[in-house]
Amino acid sequence: MTKNLTTFISDFYEKQHKMPSYREMLKASNYKSLRTIKVKTDKLVEEGFLQRNTKGQLSPTALFHAIPLLGSVEAGFPSPAEEELIDTMTLDEYLIQKKESTYILRISGESMKDAGILPGDMALVERGRQAKSGQIVIAEVDGKYTIKYLIKENGKVYLKAGNKKYKDIYPEEELKISAVVTSIIRKY
Amino acid sequence: MPSSATPQSLASSVPPLSIGKYPRAILHIDGDAFFASCEQSRDPSLMGKPVITGKERGIAASLSYEAKVMGITRGMSLREIKKVCPQAIIMPSDYETYSILSKRFYEIVRRYTPDVEEYGIDECFADITGLRRVHRCSYETIAGKIKHDLDSELGFTFSAGLAPNKVVAKIGSKWKKPSGLTSIQARNIHLFLGQLDVSDIWGIGQQTSAFLYKHKIRTALDFAHTDEQWVRKWTAKPYYEIWQELNGRCLLELNIEEKTSYQSISKVKTFTPPSTDKDFVYAQLARNIEAACMKARRYDQEPQEVSFFLKSQTFHSRGVRVKLSRATAFPHEVIRAITPAFEEIYEHGVQYRATGVHLSKLTTIEERQMDLFGVHVHAEKMQSLYGAMDKMRTKYGKNTLYLGSSHEAHKAQQHDGERGHETRRKQNLLPGETKRRRLAVPMFLGDVV
Repeated sequence: MTKNLTTFISDFYEKQHKMPSYREMLKASNYKSLRTIKVKTDKLVEEGFLQRNTKGQLSPTALFHAIPLLGSVEAGFPSPAEEELIDTMTLDEYLIQKKESTYILRISGESMKDAGILPGDMALVERGRQAKSGQIVIAEVDGKYTIKYLIKENGKVYLKAGNKKYKDIYPEEELKISAVVTSIIRKY
Repeated sequence: MPSSATPQSLASSVPPLSIGKYPRAILHIDGDAFFASCEQSRDPSLMGKPVITGKERGIAASLSYEAKVMGITRGMSLREIKKVCPQAIIMPSDYETYSILSKRFYEIVRRYTPDVEEYGIDECFADITGLRRVHRCSYETIAGKIKHDLDSELGFTFSAGLAPNKVVAKIGSKWKKPSGLTSIQARNIHLFLGQLDVSDIWGIGQQTSAFLYKHKIRTALDFAHTDEQWVRKWTAKPYYEIWQELNGRCLLELNIEEKTSYQSISKVKTFTPPSTDKDFVYAQLARNIEAACMKARRYDQEPQEVSFFLKSQTFHSRGVRVKLSRATAFPHEVIRAITPAFEEIYEHGVQYRATGVHLSKLTTIEERQMDLFGVHVHAEKMQSLYGAMDKMRTKYGKNTLYLGSSHEAHKAQQHDGERGHETRRKQNLLPGETKRRRLAVPMFLGDVV
């Protein structure tokens, strides 16, 4: 029965982008009391399908989003596959650490060629993050975005290209760092 | 931390309206020139320039501070803008990006408190009462941290007001713009109300301010000083609540619940060039009805009443309200019900520029009653049909499947000329993206060299 309930919850979540209430779950299932729903959802929490916050409200876990694998979440003895799944993450989670400040952009120049970044590549970048020396950053130079290594040396800050043909850029005033590059994506 | 501006000019002879600092700590946060800022923050070549959004509507919907300085105002037509400020950069609204950034805005505020009211796409209220110990700092510092996170992570500025209630918090966020943070403790409220016109108070409209002027109540301070009995006797309840909030009490609670149903649903669309073609105008209306019905179904609601209007090129509107014999959110039934009325108000030879539909008296689908004539059975069938249609639309795009009645509208481009320009995000598709489906991640635009 847990399986039907999970199907209902995931359908509901997909459609309404929120968790169903106990009452809604009761209505959709053939259970008779809210107590049963509580027990069943507790089981789903135990199985790592859902989680509860301190207020007791339910929310989905990473496992929940791995939809094709739902079939394996069933009462009975745990399968090895299920044990492993608890420690997996989605590609989104892997690539994006801070969801609210992550942006995407497309590279057009060749200035980072030797760093393995080519025109047409996409970069995920994080805004508002303190950039460290040696990190690849997106800076604003003359009203344009540029992707370069940020170098802090002997009290000096400058931008260095990953391509010998390009000169280092020393800012005249304050260097405007728009974001820090967190991953590069190339889709074939 | 940004400093809070306190008006110095006002004589300290006025006694405070209330005592204490923050019996409640309510924050109102407002994005500065939100849509225009979303555009500027993703393309450095737009920084410091007059940027205007709303091209598709033919008017200025949002303007950057640089554009405001040039004398452009909201609602100004494109032609006028070009006269006033030829160098203005006018772009179509990219609601997709604005709503992603709006959601991020709420999420960042929710890092600090779960009590957030999403008041509009570019503004919200947050209740931070009792959170000083959790964050180990004062309310002013919490407000400053929230503002800092927003400014640095979204790439443009926000203005905030901290006060003991919503009405005063709203005054605070407007006090210093852009990028202000104004804290108004209960005991200092009176210092802010002296120069503020009553009509500038949130919730006081033209009618009420005109009425108050007649009684020599001109500033917000005048209103706050008005006798309580008089306010109760002569104004409606919402104004009495405002009066109490101006006096430092907190009455208006935050509405933090997510929207799960609507009072009414509207869909309006203009098209250019204007048309005298009856079939085309009818199809435009049908398309709006389809869109409105789809939204109603998404929230499991059905209208009992439908009104629609046709707007002509001379901005004359004619509208009709139709009562449905039974609530329905199936567009073919709604279209059938309004067709006779359409025939009646449609005038030959008139140039039409917009159609709109308004669904009202919405009921939830569960409340539907059984009837004797088997309509119920039919409705169930329709429900599964439209359910399947909705599923296809969510999967393959909103316009994959539509009624024949809307075809003429779908076939044509909604706007000709520059008003029909696509958003820059749609012109910059990533590999694997389509015009209908894109990554839900905002994009930096322009060449990245």
